Amino acid sequence: MMSAALAPGAAAIVLFGTFLVLFVLRVPVAFALGLACLPSLIIESRLSPLMLFNETFKAYNSFILLAVPFYLLTANLMNVGGVTDRLVRLSRSMVGHFPGALAQINVLLSVFFAGISGSSTADAASQSKIFIDAQVREGYGLSFSIAITAVSAVLAVIIPPSILMIVWGGVISTSIGAMYLAGFLPGLLIAAAQMATVHVYAKIYHYPVYPRATLKEFFYSAWISVPALLTAFIIVGGVLLGWFTPTESACVAVLYTIALSVFVYREMKLKNLYDSFVETGRLSSVALFCVGTASAFGWLLAYYQIPRALLDNVSTWGMGITAAGFFIALVFLVVGCFLDAIPAIIIFGTILQPLAQSVGMHPIHFAIIGIVSLAFGLVTPPYGLCLMISCAVAKVPVRFALKDTMIMLVPMLLMLAAIIIWPDIPLILPRLIAPELLK
Amino acid sequence: MKKLLDGTHRLLRWLMAATVAILIVPVTLQIISRYTALIPSWIWTEELSRFLFIWMIMLGAVIGVREGSHFVVDVLPDLPPRLDAFLQIVTDLFVLVFALVFVWWGIAFVRFGWDQTSELAELPMAFIFMAWPVAGVIWVLFLGEAFVAGFRVLAGKTDR
Repeated sequence: MMSAALAPGAAAIVLFGTFLVLFVLRVPVAFALGLACLPSLIIESRLSPLMLFNETFKAYNSFILLAVPFYLLTANLMNVGGVTDRLVRLSRSMVGHFPGALAQINVLLSVFFAGISGSSTADAASQSKIFIDAQVREGYGLSFSIAITAVSAVLAVIIPPSILMIVWGGVISTSIGAMYLAGFLPGLLIAAAQMATVHVYAKIYHYPVYPRATLKEFFYSAWISVPALLTAFIIVGGVLLGWFTPTESACVAVLYTIALSVFVYREMKLKNLYDSFVETGRLSSVALFCVGTASAFGWLLAYYQIPRALLDNVSTWGMGITAAGFFIALVFLVVGCFLDAIPAIIIFGTILQPLAQSVGMHPIHFAIIGIVSLAFGLVTPPYGLCLMISCAVAKVPVRFALKDTMIMLVPMLLMLAAIIIWPDIPLILPRLIAPELLK
Repeated sequence: MKKLLDGTHRLLRWLMAATVAILIVPVTLQIISRYTALIPSWIWTEELSRFLFIWMIMLGAVIGVREGSHFVVDVLPDLPPRLDAFLQIVTDLFVLVFALVFVWWGIAFVRFGWDQTSELAELPMAFIFMAWPVAGVIWVLFLGEAFVAGFRVLAGKTDR
């Protein structure tokens, strides 16, 4: 037992207290996490601020996280290279005649998008530009339009490929291939819940409908989208068959999207390419910088053995799998309000893993509960990145779209409850397709 | 001074975009070498991509301070402009503390890596560790600019 100057309780107060004060003062989250580490690093005689450098270096020096810029780049390239346009057309021919046509297209496009890119923030950024303005012009409410764009963007990390699953697999050593398969059904269920929500809204507010697309239009738009939709199969299939690692698969997605844009759709210009690189670097580096300081923060929590202190209490409650599932979801939902999903996995995923294990929860079930809950955290304030991005595109403060976002979250939370209660929802696909990955 | 900062900013942005673009290369080579005999399977590709990645993150984090792209959370209500400017200065002071930590201990960090070379590509680690103090120094410059702007608002010279 090492001797620390601070007891776990006191250390927890210093770490979380400093973080929360800075957070409220509007210090950027990444810096608030790093600054919160400083008091302990200076007080403890065995530690020094150099730890901050070691931990951030170790966090960034990771081949796994490389998937983050690659998936963002894929998304940016899809937008400038014409892939997104074709998927919009396909979505329109499929759901354009439903009530709330454009909003339904918004959700369905997120499903397709989710199958190619693994980044929700990229989805929110690109679809906000496509849909919010267009929806308002067609008579949809602004707050409704922002909310549906933001909540549908969370599908990108639930439906494979997914940056969160790659990070989860790296941090908690769970099979990424199995998580990919497990994410499909929950993702489709949540998308269905969102489309039902749009349907109800559309009936109440009399949102517009497009004429039904002809069968010919459907087949044509499906035909031109085939090369784009193939990306999903290449990425997910490639990982399952062991052709490439998840990070490499993200790189393959980039190459494939470039090839599509240049050789098949022929819409890519050099200027667009440069802009995509800048946009990708900008968004991924601020997100990843935060991962570094969060890792240092998480390392200090572990140093003081705070997780063990917290869990000692919980494990005496005698929870079953379902109760533990709800507890885990609750923790991730609350944490997701204040932290980005990747740092949350690094800090809290590792804290909760022993609990999931002790009640006999399947690791894949645990992963999907965690990832879905954290994905919802992308639209919950105060720190809901997708909601923040959509609101920033629409140039309104986050609280403007809060009410509609919360309403849309209710059916999504019911789906999460279903996933917790019936482990078969995530587990059935991997069991059927790749049972060897579940062991 | 503004021109100098703008120039630095543009240069860093260009470098960041370049790291993103170059990152694709080693990972692609890694995949190609596994499936074809066109190129040998170099072991340094993975390490090189990680090191480029580190520089990409640090460059983006540096210009993020000037572009205001680091994520902040708005739990406070809308404030009057001068109070807002005051709070911004307080916030930036905290970021400045962090920047100075990066400079001060960053130099120690580089010294520590001075004689080390990386395991696979045998690059001097100082080239990588350098990213931290460099980030710190440029942050200080960018923050200085923000302080000047903030104090002008406080003094009532501009109303942003």
